[in-house]
Amino acid sequence: MSPLQRIQSMLGVGTSLSSRRTAGGIKPPSYKEHSLRSRIMPMPIPPQLKIPVGATESGTIALDIAAGDHVHKYQKLAQLQLSAQGRTSIPVHAPTSGIVSAIEEAYVADHSQQKQVCIVLKTDGLDTSLPLEPAVDYRQLASEELVTAIRRAGIVGMGGAGFPAADKIDSAAHQALDLLIINAAECEPYISADEALIRERAEGVVTGAEILQRASSARRCIIAIESSKPNAIQALEQAIEAQTNITGNCELLLVPSKYPVGSEKQLIQSVSGIEIPSGQHPAQHGVLVHNVGTSYAVFQALVLGRPCISRITTLSGQALKTPKNFEALIGCSVEFLFEICGIDKSLRHKTLLGGSLMGLQLPSDNAAVSKTTNCLIAAGSDELAPPTEIQACIRCGFCADACPVRLLPQQLLAFSKTANNSQLLEHGLMDCIECGACDYVCPSHIPLVSIYKDSKAAIETRLTNHERSKVWQQRFQYHQSRIKKEKDQAPTRTKAVPAKKPAAESEVSASNNGNEQEFFSKEKASREIAAAVARVKARRDESKKAASVQDKSK
Amino acid sequence: MDTKAPFQHSGKNIAQLMQTLLLALLPGICASLWFFGYGILLNILIAGFFALAAETAMLRLRGKKIALHLADRSALVCAALFAIGIPPGAPWWLVALGIIFAIVVVKHLYGGLGQNPFNPAMCGYAMLLLAFPLQMTSWHLPNEVVEGVLSVDNLGIPIASTEQEILSPLSGRGFKQALLLSFPFAASSDFDMKAFTDGLAMATPLIEFKMAGQSALLAARDSGASLFSRESETAWEVINIGYLFGGLLLLYKRIISWHIPLTIIATVLIVSALFYAPGSASIYGTPYLHLFGSATMIGAFFIATDPVSAATTRPGKVVYGIIIGLSIYSIRVWGSYLDSIAFAVLFGNFCAPALDQFCRPRIFGQGLLRATKLTETNHESTKP
Repeated sequence: MSPLQRIQSMLGVGTSLSSRRTAGGIKPPSYKEHSLRSRIMPMPIPPQLKIPVGATESGTIALDIAAGDHVHKYQKLAQLQLSAQGRTSIPVHAPTSGIVSAIEEAYVADHSQQKQVCIVLKTDGLDTSLPLEPAVDYRQLASEELVTAIRRAGIVGMGGAGFPAADKIDSAAHQALDLLIINAAECEPYISADEALIRERAEGVVTGAEILQRASSARRCIIAIESSKPNAIQALEQAIEAQTNITGNCELLLVPSKYPVGSEKQLIQSVSGIEIPSGQHPAQHGVLVHNVGTSYAVFQALVLGRPCISRITTLSGQALKTPKNFEALIGCSVEFLFEICGIDKSLRHKTLLGGSLMGLQLPSDNAAVSKTTNCLIAAGSDELAPPTEIQACIRCGFCADACPVRLLPQQLLAFSKTANNSQLLEHGLMDCIECGACDYVCPSHIPLVSIYKDSKAAIETRLTNHERSKVWQQRFQYHQSRIKKEKDQAPTRTKAVPAKKPAAESEVSASNNGNEQEFFSKEKASREIAAAVARVKARRDESKKAASVQDKSK
Repeated sequence: MDTKAPFQHSGKNIAQLMQTLLLALLPGICASLWFFGYGILLNILIAGFFALAAETAMLRLRGKKIALHLADRSALVCAALFAIGIPPGAPWWLVALGIIFAIVVVKHLYGGLGQNPFNPAMCGYAMLLLAFPLQMTSWHLPNEVVEGVLSVDNLGIPIASTEQEILSPLSGRGFKQALLLSFPFAASSDFDMKAFTDGLAMATPLIEFKMAGQSALLAARDSGASLFSRESETAWEVINIGYLFGGLLLLYKRIISWHIPLTIIATVLIVSALFYAPGSASIYGTPYLHLFGSATMIGAFFIATDPVSAATTRPGKVVYGIIIGLSIYSIRVWGSYLDSIAFAVLFGNFCAPALDQFCRPRIFGQGLLRATKLTETNHESTKP
């Protein structure tokens, strides 16, 4: 982008794109420079990999191998069949060659915080690989074929969501897609994986973007990056220029450097001005967002034929001698990565997964790197230690100014304290994206986000309880209406046998009517049951006969 | 809370905010000091002392961590804002009573910092104004200040003069006199207290304007008083400009948002301009007089912006500012009180909870008609 274009972009005039204003946001120190000093490092093969397949709750796991099998690099090991949508699956491939020693549940470095089924691979260090089968030419493939290839490569959202990339494309398949946004706005402090990737492999990113555009048949494709990353911007500009000469029509858009501009809906607004309504998906509005990491993985899958077996992971923090970005093999342990970076464990105060604002504390170093592990921080004692002295809210409103969703955190806090759920919902608690901007600016150091998370959970359990009680209420009401119906029908039945009772007695026996009716119905029921059992038996016999006939015919 | 995100913090804290606020008060306080002598400083010191004492006692009674909560400096800010409104030369017990009422009753009995629905400093001021109207409306000054400025007070009664030479109110004698005004019990029996207390009852120019018509004020203006001469009208101008600078510092440091001060000033300006009839001897006064002739600036930037008792949403703040601006003008012109910041702000405090409930910003992604329409047209455009 020329200086003139850049000015035009800032002013929102001319042919080039310009970003739109979004609400709130903060500008925390990013600390990205530490991990960006060196280039992306390929990692040595660790003695053991624990390749996560998925949690048993999230779907059915279909293993292609058994313990004791020898596998090659790129070989498909297993796949997770997601229970939500029957046809989607996430395959897992071997990052290197070796012998499968066990299949066990283990902790994985991702935001699920639950044990997942992992394939334990004892590596042999030979790194013997299956031959790669690159696609013929992605430009000649139909969008369905591209999606299938993306699915086969086991690509998930590399930004952290971990949603299968192919499913995301599929979710928008039935609509006219206006815009594909490649999210290069990696706004959270410490994380530099995407920036490093763009600096060094911009061509791959841009090609991947083009493939994603073709796969999702999007009219436009915009790569959105923060204006504070000049090296990455330059690399992207060159790559886009090179690509435009051939086929692509990717565009580059600079978005303001503030947190959380890279949050999906905020980015969409920043790029297109479209505000995705609460509770709706971007795809419903003709927009799709993919992470640059995903885009690069798609490039690898389609152009090189290489499945997703590694990802760029940032290692940072004061306890590391050489913070840097690694091309980490999926399944290597966090400890192994820290060791190559020269961790001084005596300096380490805590370990974080993800950035400093939305990350979580890792309980142990044994966790395995997954496809969504974008950053690992070994924080020193005076690093990332927010003040713990909590004071009263003085309603200064800094939080409301920082909120990207235009919520009123100070009001939500007051309503959370009194568990005023109707006001919490009214004030949009469920729209909170938990970005932590309010926490960051709070002069009283109130842990707002964790308070909101608790309130959300409390409301959700209340709502589910409410739903459940509604169901029970409905059943009870149905039960009562049925009894009433039977009661209403009862006199007609007793009237059917009127001759037995004299008219004078009928009033007296009215109270007994119910019991008699029950008696009758019980008798009737036992008869009916017997008839039903007989019918079932008859049917079974028939089907057995039919089966034997079939067997014979075979 | 060490174990949950976010792990990074801006490093801001309440003590810093309060300290900046105190710092921002300095230009205005210095201007007051220059013109009116040590009275204001003594008021601040007395109020500060009793505020800290009352705060400590209440924290102890409530079983709170004393060191932690005293360190937030909110009591000092409350004391400073309160003391600025008290006439210099007021006796110590007046100041003490007001600030103890503010801290104990208005702040802590409602739940301490962040819980009080009303501005403590202004409640203290209003209480004193209702209970001790005489002491609260006479601005006693060391008579050195008076000697050189006016030979008659605003009612036209000649001022009893004991000294003929003109001295600075910042001189040692001025200090001694200010001290004696604040602590009357310290005066020796043979000392003539009357000489001081009769010194001058001088309130703000606006009050003079309201009470005594335009004569004194116009006389002062016609005499060509320069900005820094120690003369009553210009004094208030300079003091207001001082607080305006302080307020701009707060805006620059983003401790307050522009919404409340701007709307208050704009409302006062517009309303006073609407009612102002040039040339007529009406009681309304010029817009300039309303903005700089009284406590408008300190009210707009320092008192109405007290976050605890003010409206907290942005649209709410705008309405809050308009309400206060209208109240300021209304009470000044049609009310029976001399100045109106305290009552106007308290009136705003009454409205704040309702404003917060009804004037809310639109939540991202909620209540949208435009966006869906926009995308519909987008879809149409892509169809052909």
